[in-house]
Amino acid sequence: MKQMLNHELLQIRNLKKYYPVTTGLLSQHIGDIKAVDGISFNIKERDILGLVGESGCGKSTLGRTILRLEEPTSGEILYKGMDITKLDKKGLRELRREIQIIFQDPDASLDPRMTVGDSIGEALIIHSITDEKERMKRVAELMEQVGLEAGQASHYPHEFSGGQKQRIGIARALAINPKLIIADEPVSALDVSIQAQILNLMMDIQQEFGLAYLFIAHDLSVIKHMAHRVAVMYLGKIAELADRREFFQNPLHPYTEALLSAVPSLKPKGKERILLLGDVPSPLNPPSGCRFHPRCHRVLPICHQEEPQLVEISQGHFVACHLYN
Amino acid sequence: MTERLQNIARKIGGPLYSNRRLIEYYWQRTQRNKLAVLGLSFIAFLILLALIGPFFTLDPTLVNFEENNLPPVGFATEESVYNIYTDEFTTTEISGTWKHPLGTDSKGRDMLAMIISGARISLQVGLIATGIAITLGTIIGVLSAYLGGWADNILMRFTDVMMTFPFFLLLVLIVFIFGPSLALIVLVIGITGWTGTARLLRSEALSLRTRDFVTAAKALGASDGRVIFGHLIPNVASLIIVIATLSIPGVILAEAALSFIGLGDPTTTSWGIILNSGQQSLDTAWWIAVEPGIMLFLTVLAFNFLGDGLRDAFDPKSNI
Repeated sequence: MKQMLNHELLQIRNLKKYYPVTTGLLSQHIGDIKAVDGISFNIKERDILGLVGESGCGKSTLGRTILRLEEPTSGEILYKGMDITKLDKKGLRELRREIQIIFQDPDASLDPRMTVGDSIGEALIIHSITDEKERMKRVAELMEQVGLEAGQASHYPHEFSGGQKQRIGIARALAINPKLIIADEPVSALDVSIQAQILNLMMDIQQEFGLAYLFIAHDLSVIKHMAHRVAVMYLGKIAELADRREFFQNPLHPYTEALLSAVPSLKPKGKERILLLGDVPSPLNPPSGCRFHPRCHRVLPICHQEEPQLVEISQGHFVACHLYN
Repeated sequence: MTERLQNIARKIGGPLYSNRRLIEYYWQRTQRNKLAVLGLSFIAFLILLALIGPFFTLDPTLVNFEENNLPPVGFATEESVYNIYTDEFTTTEISGTWKHPLGTDSKGRDMLAMIISGARISLQVGLIATGIAITLGTIIGVLSAYLGGWADNILMRFTDVMMTFPFFLLLVLIVFIFGPSLALIVLVIGITGWTGTARLLRSEALSLRTRDFVTAAKALGASDGRVIFGHLIPNVASLIIVIATLSIPGVILAEAALSFIGLGDPTTTSWGIILNSGQQSLDTAWWIAVEPGIMLFLTVLAFNFLGDGLRDAFDPKSNI
């Protein structure tokens, strides 16, 4: 941590991803699902940015858009200063060496008809490490690095447990030495006892490989364990972004307060639990003004009309709320 | 050398070849279905017969009018001969001989030899035409699902058109124009028979396409070809095997039906052709039509039993 480099690895500028909603024979455009609606943040080298939010708030879409698995509607994604939204096929292939993804469901993320060794080795073949012996050696190394036995490379996914499969998924993402890994809820499908193992493994390899993570989760205790900085997303927008310590000690946004109050604690501080009413509104037709105002416990008149901007309240602490402007 | 062959087989035969334990698992499940095992045994027997049988039988094209219409061994027929001098009918009993265990047809050709050579033709027709149809159906179906959007629309509407097209009429027309040839018949059956396969595989590939392992492959930078041939097709391989097994009998029957109505290749002795030649003499020499009929019946049944068994074995949800 001490020698943390200050290089910006990833810079996201006003990123938007809209899914058009069409109807009828002529595919009339009747609106957009604004899954990601104007998001900006940076990730430095070796940084771990935790991204939290309820399901359906656009976390996963954001992750996939950064990987260009989804085409962004507008905005910029700068990787090492280069805009990757305009990359062609060849450039995109190069980008794949730099940014990788770990999935939520370890069952679905491995091809059931491929040995895990082949799954891990596929990345090496794609990126032209085609010598069979060299590849086998690298696969064996990777498997040992994630805590599996190299001899298990010839086994099929159904012969592994959920935690082991997630380790294989991690090994596959590591195969081509990426600099940034997007971890899309990597532990939420696992048992709690296995969660800790996988999280610690991810911490270890982060140190070892000098990785940066965009760590997507809906579990704040997982975020607290992993992240250096935390961003809260609500309906396609960032509500609050702060360093971990600041985030957990001095949450500003009412939504963050509500989320934090929902975390079960062994030492109840006598804090009242803030109950959020209703569900996340539809991203097809988000509420006017502040998107959170229909569920907010500290709503102001202005919240109904005007959308708050994300502003820096103190050093590195951004919040989008009218209470602090 | 063997390593190279193994590599090629792995790429073509894909996961089923390389995954011995999976094969064993499926084999165990298939074995539990006795009818499927029976079907498989019959098919194996038929293939063996078609491969090595012709070396042991008489020439199926050898015409011998001295010994025509001989019944099979164990059966006898009466033949009435009109004697011009005595003006009387003399009835002689003819019984089958071991020289022609299944009898002879109206031209004195050995039925056993014809049936065995017919097995070879019917199996060829069944396997080759199904091979063409399944290959086309797999490529069109999986491609359609993978590409989505406009390409999917165009390919599927094309499939609809092909489905509604009366293929029997096309066959009749082509046979009429180019003359009956087995290769042509096989080709037409293959080229028109892929539509159902394409539909089934498209729906299967559609659900696979959004699975995380496909996304992972794309995120690793895999090309479209690698995703389709490396991930999608291996994952529908078991379905392909089932569809192929179940569509072989249909193809064999289609060829037989064509031959039966007189549109078959007359230079071959396919079961349909033999059936056709036997229908005129059903009252005097029933065995000429009945023997290929029984073989067709058993073959179709065997493939259907095996196909059903494989479908149940490959379906993880079925408890067998």
